[in-house]
Amino acid sequence: MTPRRGRGWPLWLVLVLLVLMHFYVRPRLYSGPGAPDFLLIALVIYSLRSRPGPAAVAGFITGIATDLLVPVRLGAGALAHTLVGYGTSWGRSVFFPDNLLVNGGMFALGVLLRNAVLLLLSGSGPAGLLQALAPGSLLQALTTAVAGTLVTLVIRHRVDFRLDE
Amino acid sequence: MSRSAARPTTRRDTVLFLGCVVLSLFLLAVPEHWTGPLTGTVRETALRPLLWLQRRGEEGRTSRTRLQEVVAERDAAAIRARTADDLERENAELRGLLGLQERLPETFLAADILHQPLPTDGRTLLLSIGRAAGAAPFQPVITPSGLVGVLVRVEAGSSVVHTWAHPEFRASAVTAQGEVLGIVAPTADDGPGLQALEFRGVAYRDTVPEGTLVMTSGLGGVYPRGIAIGRVSGVRREELGWERVYRLTPAVNPGLVGHVLILTRPVVPALQSADSLPPASQDSLP
Repeated sequence: MTPRRGRGWPLWLVLVLLVLMHFYVRPRLYSGPGAPDFLLIALVIYSLRSRPGPAAVAGFITGIATDLLVPVRLGAGALAHTLVGYGTSWGRSVFFPDNLLVNGGMFALGVLLRNAVLLLLSGSGPAGLLQALAPGSLLQALTTAVAGTLVTLVIRHRVDFRLDE
Repeated sequence: MSRSAARPTTRRDTVLFLGCVVLSLFLLAVPEHWTGPLTGTVRETALRPLLWLQRRGEEGRTSRTRLQEVVAERDAAAIRARTADDLERENAELRGLLGLQERLPETFLAADILHQPLPTDGRTLLLSIGRAAGAAPFQPVITPSGLVGVLVRVEAGSSVVHTWAHPEFRASAVTAQGEVLGIVAPTADDGPGLQALEFRGVAYRDTVPEGTLVMTSGLGGVYPRGIAIGRVSGVRREELGWERVYRLTPAVNPGLVGHVLILTRPVVPALQSADSLPPASQDSLP
C-alpha cells in the first residue's frame, strides 16, 4: 500500500486516531458490555485497504495486544483477529467494499467471528459459539457496525491510500 | 474499486497468513506459567502508555458520572456510622466475655478496572494498580455489593483478576445463617451469555430456600468470611439423591463494575509454606 502524498489524510493518522478513541474516548463515554470496539474498526478499515497477508499480520498484532489486555488465554485473540483481518481483506474481492452497508456488515461480522473464535478457544468450548450470539455480543456487533460506518463515512473521501498494483 | 482488489491472494499473502496462524497456535499451546512473566513485561513496557491513557479516560468518566452514587453511599454510610461506635464497644465487651481475640483490622486498596470490549472481559479483569501500590497475588477483590474475584498476577503498575466467571474460580461458601456449607463455582449452562454460579456440595437433607444469601465461609484462607457471593435462585440439579446443586444469582456483575476494592488484610495462614509452620506436637495426634 503506497499512500499518495499531498492529498487528504494519511491512513495511519486515521488508525492512530481510532486507537486513541479506543483507549481514551471509549472509557470516558461507556466501557461496559456492548461498547464499540475501535481496535476492530481500525483493523477492518486497514484490512479493506490492504492485501490479505499484511491484513493477517495486522490482525495478529491487534490480537496479541488484546490478549495482553484481557489475559484469558494468550494466542486466542491473536488467532481470532488474524482470521478477521485475513477474511476481511479476502472478502473485499467478493463483496463491494465501497458500499456503506457492506462496510457495516463487515464490521458486524468481524465482531461476531472474533467473539466466536475467542470464546471457543478461551475455555467455553462449543458453547462459546452460542455465547457469540448472546445479546451482549450482538449489541456490540451493532454498535461497532454503526461506529465503523460513521468513521468510514467521514474518511471515505478524505483518506489517501492506494493499493500496490 | 482498485484492480488489485480483485486479484487473487498471492503466495506471499498465504505464507504470512499461515505464519500468523501457526504462531497463534504455538502461543495457545505454551503453558501459562511460561508466558505469564513475558506478557506482564510487555504490558508494563510497550502497552504502558495505552494503559495510562485508558486510566485517565476511566477516571474522567467515573469522576463525572458516579459522583451522585458516591454521595448517596457516603450519606448512607454516615447514618450507619452513628451507631457503629456503640456496636464496636458492645462487640469488644462480648469478645472479652467469651475470651475471643480482637478482629484483625481490614485494610484495602481502591482500584479502577480497565475494561476491554471483548466477550472474555468479565472473566479476567485488568486493574489499574499493582505491586507498587501494595497489591499481591491471592488478595480478594470485592465491591460494596459482594465478591468479584481474586488477584492472580500482579505487576508493578497493573494486576490481573480472575473473577467468579472464570472457569477455574472456586470459593468455599456458607449460607447467611451459617447452616449450610458448600462450594461455589461458575456455570454457563443456563444459555448463551448467561453467566451464573452454582452452590455445590449441599447435602440432600439440607434445603436452601430461594433468596437465601450465600457468602464466603472463610475456609481456604483466600477469601475472608462474610463476603456476599450471590442469592439462591432455585435448584439446578440433584445428584443421585445425595447432593443438591443450587443456582445462584451473583451479587456482582464483573462486566459492569468500574471500581473495586482489594482486601489486603492478612488472611492467608493456610497459604503459608509447611516449613514456616510450627511442628505438630505428638499430643495433638489422635
